[in-house]
Amino acid sequence: MLEKLEEVKKNIQSEIKSVTALKDAEQLKVKYLGRKGIIQDFMKLIPSLPAEQRAAIGQRINSLKTEVTNIVDELLKKFSGEITSKATHEIFDVTLPGKRPLVGKKHLITQTIDDIKEVFARLGFDVVYGPEVESEYYNFEALNIPADHPSRTDFDTFYIKNDVILRSQTSTVQIRVMEKQKPPIRIIAPGRVYRPDTVDARHSFMFHQVEGLLVDEGVSFADLRGVLNQFIKTYFGRDVQMRFRPSFFPFTEPSAEVDISCSLCKGKGCSVCSYSGWVEILGAGMVDPNVFKAVHYDVEKYTGFAFGMGVERITMLKYGINDIRLFYENDIRFLSQF
Amino acid sequence: MKISYNWLKEYVNFYLLPQELSDKLTNTGLVVADIQSVEDDFCIDVEVTSNRPDCLGVIGIAREVAAVVGASVQYPKTNYTSTDIEVSKLISIAVEEPILCPHYTARIVRHITVKPSPEWMQKRLKCIGLRPVNNIVDITNYVMMETGQPLHAFDLDKLSDKKIIVRRAKSGEEIVAINGARRALFHDMLVIADGKRPVAIAGIMGGKDTEVSESTRHILLECAQFEPRQVRRTSKATGIASDSSYRFERGIDPEGVELASKRAVKLINDYAEGEVAHGVNDIRSGRYEKKRITLRIERLNKVLGLEIKRDVASDILKRLQFNILNEVDTFIDVEVPSYRGEVYREIDLIEEVARIYGYNNIPTKTSISVRGSVKSKYEIVEDSVRHFLTGIGFYEAKTFSIVDTSPLQSVNLWSDRAGVDIANPLRQEESRLRTCLLPSLIRTRIYNMHHGVEQARIFEIAKVYLAGEKLPEEKTCLSILADIDFLTLKGIVESLLASLGITSKCEWMAFDGSILFKADKSAKIQLGNNILGYIGEVKELEFKTSPCMVELDLDLLVKMSNFSKYFQMLSQYPPVLRDLAIIVDEEVTWASIEKCILAANISFMTAINFFDIYYGKQIPSGKKSIAFNLCFQAFDRTLKSEEVDVAQQMILDSLYKTLGAELRKQ
Ligand SMILES: [Zn+2]
Repeated sequence: MLEKLEEVKKNIQSEIKSVTALKDAEQLKVKYLGRKGIIQDFMKLIPSLPAEQRAAIGQRINSLKTEVTNIVDELLKKFSGEITSKATHEIFDVTLPGKRPLVGKKHLITQTIDDIKEVFARLGFDVVYGPEVESEYYNFEALNIPADHPSRTDFDTFYIKNDVILRSQTSTVQIRVMEKQKPPIRIIAPGRVYRPDTVDARHSFMFHQVEGLLVDEGVSFADLRGVLNQFIKTYFGRDVQMRFRPSFFPFTEPSAEVDISCSLCKGKGCSVCSYSGWVEILGAGMVDPNVFKAVHYDVEKYTGFAFGMGVERITMLKYGINDIRLFYENDIRFLSQF
Repeated sequence: MKISYNWLKEYVNFYLLPQELSDKLTNTGLVVADIQSVEDDFCIDVEVTSNRPDCLGVIGIAREVAAVVGASVQYPKTNYTSTDIEVSKLISIAVEEPILCPHYTARIVRHITVKPSPEWMQKRLKCIGLRPVNNIVDITNYVMMETGQPLHAFDLDKLSDKKIIVRRAKSGEEIVAINGARRALFHDMLVIADGKRPVAIAGIMGGKDTEVSESTRHILLECAQFEPRQVRRTSKATGIASDSSYRFERGIDPEGVELASKRAVKLINDYAEGEVAHGVNDIRSGRYEKKRITLRIERLNKVLGLEIKRDVASDILKRLQFNILNEVDTFIDVEVPSYRGEVYREIDLIEEVARIYGYNNIPTKTSISVRGSVKSKYEIVEDSVRHFLTGIGFYEAKTFSIVDTSPLQSVNLWSDRAGVDIANPLRQEESRLRTCLLPSLIRTRIYNMHHGVEQARIFEIAKVYLAGEKLPEEKTCLSILADIDFLTLKGIVESLLASLGITSKCEWMAFDGSILFKADKSAKIQLGNNILGYIGEVKELEFKTSPCMVELDLDLLVKMSNFSKYFQMLSQYPPVLRDLAIIVDEEVTWASIEKCILAANISFMTAINFFDIYYGKQIPSGKKSIAFNLCFQAFDRTLKSEEVDVAQQMILDSLYKTLGAELRKQ
């Protein structure tokens, strides 16, 4: 009797190996555990056994039953998936597309402003903001741009009412900061500015600027060159060259326009740089004494420099964007690229 | 300004190809925008900044080239022979406004022959884009382009009463300018008049009646100086701008009248024959005083960050034709040439030295002092908000602050004051500063829909402009629009507030929706005593989805944010969760249930989690079932089942007493 039970156990082990589908497992269940199954057949034999063997054999049969039940259950579980998905036992395709979480992006203009902020923060510049609707005074007079002066031609402006305008440059923030604070000053001021320009691929009536200002004792034009060189190398790349050209801004003297070597043609000349090898990226200079006078600074004691750059312009240069309107259309296909 | 390469060579010797010349000019501040070859010449387009009117003539540019290459300038010839008849016998001149016209000169050439100008002159004018007319007009243009001093020739026979009066226009007077424009004149405009009427708008354009024509026999050549701001205002008011007004506005050389006048007369004498009347009728008020400035060498080096000696600076200033009056090791006294009106301070001399020394020869120093910068709370909040929202799949948009005046764009959630209008808009579409960001986000959503984007999640941080006393109030707002349901968006706002450390609870109050939101699905959000913002589902537009949006006061978020953090102990004891479902009247809000549960004041209750609302067969009509769970956890002990039972009963009692809530039997 015991040998027979051992044999059954062996048979099961070998039969398991041939189970490849749910129906095989079900057949196995019926064969051994069914009402007319093998184990039930053994059970029926118990009453016919000698009394002293009944308990031991009964126990062995029961433990076999448990064993087989466990095995069959495992098999049923393993193959039951087959009913819902036929692919289960096929090879998993790792090249199927992944399920991506939603990803958002900061606007490219914000990214550029953040990049600029980061470079200058490391050089000790704080970020400040100023109003966009301004008194004419802060946009013009305090910046040494008198009324009826030809330099005003370069500063066409939206008016709200007499004496109140939409700032055409972030330089207004310079004055507001210096009015409130004595040197040393080290700030950058990012923000929106407005000029009555008809919108086309290169112009927009609203755009962004970042203004910078550093005032202290003993600040020189060489320091301005040093700080801007640092910015250019960090933002545009180590191999980019810087060039200063004399220029004119009413609020700086000496004034400069700053170019970088065209990264597209490596200075050889192309359509982006109008075949000059250089592209203009910002205006800068030493703060004009008249500006210091407007904020009652001692012009002998303090010197300083200021610079201003168009955010859209340098972004377009860096990423090769050919139309400024893309920034304000907010097409997600555009926003998601950066 | 366009100049001819060959023409320039007449005044200064240099051995530079056009491209080399352009590079030199660009590096001294005269940016060359373009070089075009024209026959055997080159047209060089120089951008002259508004502070350098002296470079609005070829001679001025020649002076710059001379300074750069270290050459000298040869001025043009002005010799001619004149007859015995005095100019003053032929014309009388009166200047009634000496401040607006500090210098007026007239010379006269009689019996001229009007004909085409010489070939070489026509060629040069054409090279710089001017159309040759006749010898007289061409000569006045040629000399203006040469010297930067505008001139005008009148037909002497057409001037009434042999008189020139420089005066203000009288009311009712008008003029037809040479370009055919008829303009009414006003008292604040300066004119050149003869005995009867205005014959020119001073410094801007001559009149058609007195212009030189084929039949002209005698001419009066005006060469004068007019006050820049006067010319600018009149040019703007009449809408007439000319090469002449362009130069007067920027300021001409106060000592330049004589040279230009004589030069023009010489050329007329040479190329239109004629007899030059003797002398000049010259009315000048006051004398021009040359400016003297001291340049301290120490200051020069301090401002530029250089270590140059006096002789280097002195050499540069000499090359620029500054007259050195006195120089010692520590300073240089100079006299400024009359044509450099913008140089009047030491700093201006410093710029001159820097320019010619070469901006790129100044060192690049990295010696500024060490300073740590600190992020403001505003910046921290702005960064956190962007970080949070992009992290959950939102794109940041940037839309225009200037909008149209349509009802949608005129929505003002923040104030009942009027919008801020632009006085000089370019287009009606951009004529008002916005009072709300949401309409722009709706437009952005529509724009994307039209470009095939089915679902969008966008936000913007920008200002709204609310009319104020003098300057408007500029409030920074955060607006979000997404194709998600109301409660999802509300949850985003709640999580955002939590991320900013704002722990005080918001009140969400029903709102009429304005024209932006669906009235039954919008709310006003109150934080403390302030309005935090407005939220709701977008009123039906053309959307297939039902986007929701919210506008929040970012300035308030900055004020309420709190980033100071301190470690909170974690309980070592197991939490006990109790699932409950209560039946209440339909009108009872979750907020009131929550408030009621909290009112029971169970110290070890740590969370209330809403599950769902159920209406159905088992629920009496007019009622709803609300399911939630409560979490109990103590820091000092394992809670006993009995004490949680007691707490739960207290809560249920409170709910029953306050809201008539009954426990739903499962
Ligand atoms: Zn290039």
